[in-house]
Amino acid sequence: MKRFAFFPGCLIPARHPAMELAIRYALPKLGIEIVDLEGSSCCPDPLYFKSKDKLSWLAVAARNLCLAEDLGLDIFTNCSGCTATLSEARHLLLDEALRSKVNDRLARIGRQYRGTAKVRHIASLLRDEVGYDRIRASVVRPLEGLKVAIHYGCHLLKPSLIMQVDDPNDPAVLEHLVRALGATPRRHRNWYLCCGKACQSAEVPARMMCHLLETVNEQEADVLCMVCPSCFAQFDYGQFKISQQFGKDFHTPPIYYMQLLAFAQGMPYENLGSERQRFKPECLNRYELVPTAGRHGNTLAHNGA
Amino acid sequence: MPEGPADRAGLARVDFEFRRKVAQKIEGNLATFCYQCGACVGDCPAATYSDGAFNPREIMLKVLYGLGDELLVEDSVLWNCTNCYNCHERCPQQVKPVEVIISLKNLLADAGICPDPVAKVIEVFETTGRTVPPSAAIDRQRQRYGLPPLPPVPMDEIRALLEPSPDRREKP
Repeated sequence: MKRFAFFPGCLIPARHPAMELAIRYALPKLGIEIVDLEGSSCCPDPLYFKSKDKLSWLAVAARNLCLAEDLGLDIFTNCSGCTATLSEARHLLLDEALRSKVNDRLARIGRQYRGTAKVRHIASLLRDEVGYDRIRASVVRPLEGLKVAIHYGCHLLKPSLIMQVDDPNDPAVLEHLVRALGATPRRHRNWYLCCGKACQSAEVPARMMCHLLETVNEQEADVLCMVCPSCFAQFDYGQFKISQQFGKDFHTPPIYYMQLLAFAQGMPYENLGSERQRFKPECLNRYELVPTAGRHGNTLAHNGA
Repeated sequence: MPEGPADRAGLARVDFEFRRKVAQKIEGNLATFCYQCGACVGDCPAATYSDGAFNPREIMLKVLYGLGDELLVEDSVLWNCTNCYNCHERCPQQVKPVEVIISLKNLLADAGICPDPVAKVIEVFETTGRTVPPSAAIDRQRQRYGLPPLPPVPMDEIRALLEPSPDRREKP
């Protein structure tokens, strides 16, 4: 087992616990031991608190990184926003003057930032530390015929100089991750657009989302897969609001990649928490009913996590 | 600076004080390197979907010209930024327009100006250490999945970090 510190952030543990369940279900099957990062706070978010005071934002981010340094572990995150904050903090703290200011603040609580813990988004953790083959081998319900539209979101890829995950103009990591589950990725024409969450105008994100969802609809995808809980909310309730506002029939259920993975590994449908979703991925039910015999033995698993 | 951005001859006046303040924020000084090529605009979703009402090149120009009072206002156009980082990706000068915009938002915050939805999230973070506050309802949901209640955030540590330093190195 490879050990990694799990930075949970806010949205997943405090709003979408079913996503956390999926992570805790899926990773141990892939040889990843999850070590909880005790005492972690909000990353802090790269949109709101950062807008108030970037130095304080940096100090709190550095404290979160210190927690993993103390354990001697690298961090993985489950949210693109957390990844953005922690990765950017690491990048900024290469600057000695800034690091010294931040360490002055950390000294108040008896801590020091050293820069020894790396940060990975869960998608790049899967690609680089697990590998697509091992993911494929862990699947007991191949999602054959499932058409999966993909939303990359912004902060997984950009700024590429800092994130260093994939080519922001033509990424492939999520397509590969979806294919490893036996499903068929569908890239929609407006895949590169943002979810609009951070924009405080009412009109800009609405028009953008509408444009984006039109091309998702053209793909006739069964689900819209993403790796960020912030984007998820935009595509669930947000999709409903946009449909009403523009008189459209957008209805592609959003799904967080780790939930799709855990489901393909045998986690029961009822553990996806879809009762709280506006658009439910009920299309997955057809895979749950298929008995999965063969090398995985008795894996019509209803054993939860 | 008693006069506005334009003097009697209609010429823009550079507000050097504003420019200094932006430059003192983390990465605010990067605006200096902007040569107004506009690469940031073509790929900016906020520019595209506001029909150009939001324009990162113009915002950088206003920083260079020192036109602070066009940016540091209630309902500032700055809040239309989607934080998508496309401008950061495209800029040939590594100006990081999104980070300059964040520096400007830091100046707005210093002046006590912040849209309500943003202020609300900040307040939740400053009181609970999270952007989504803990609640009995969420702990019940977590329990349903066999997850422990949300662990507390050591707020004494967070509060200690948020205090500005009296050290002059932190002073502008």
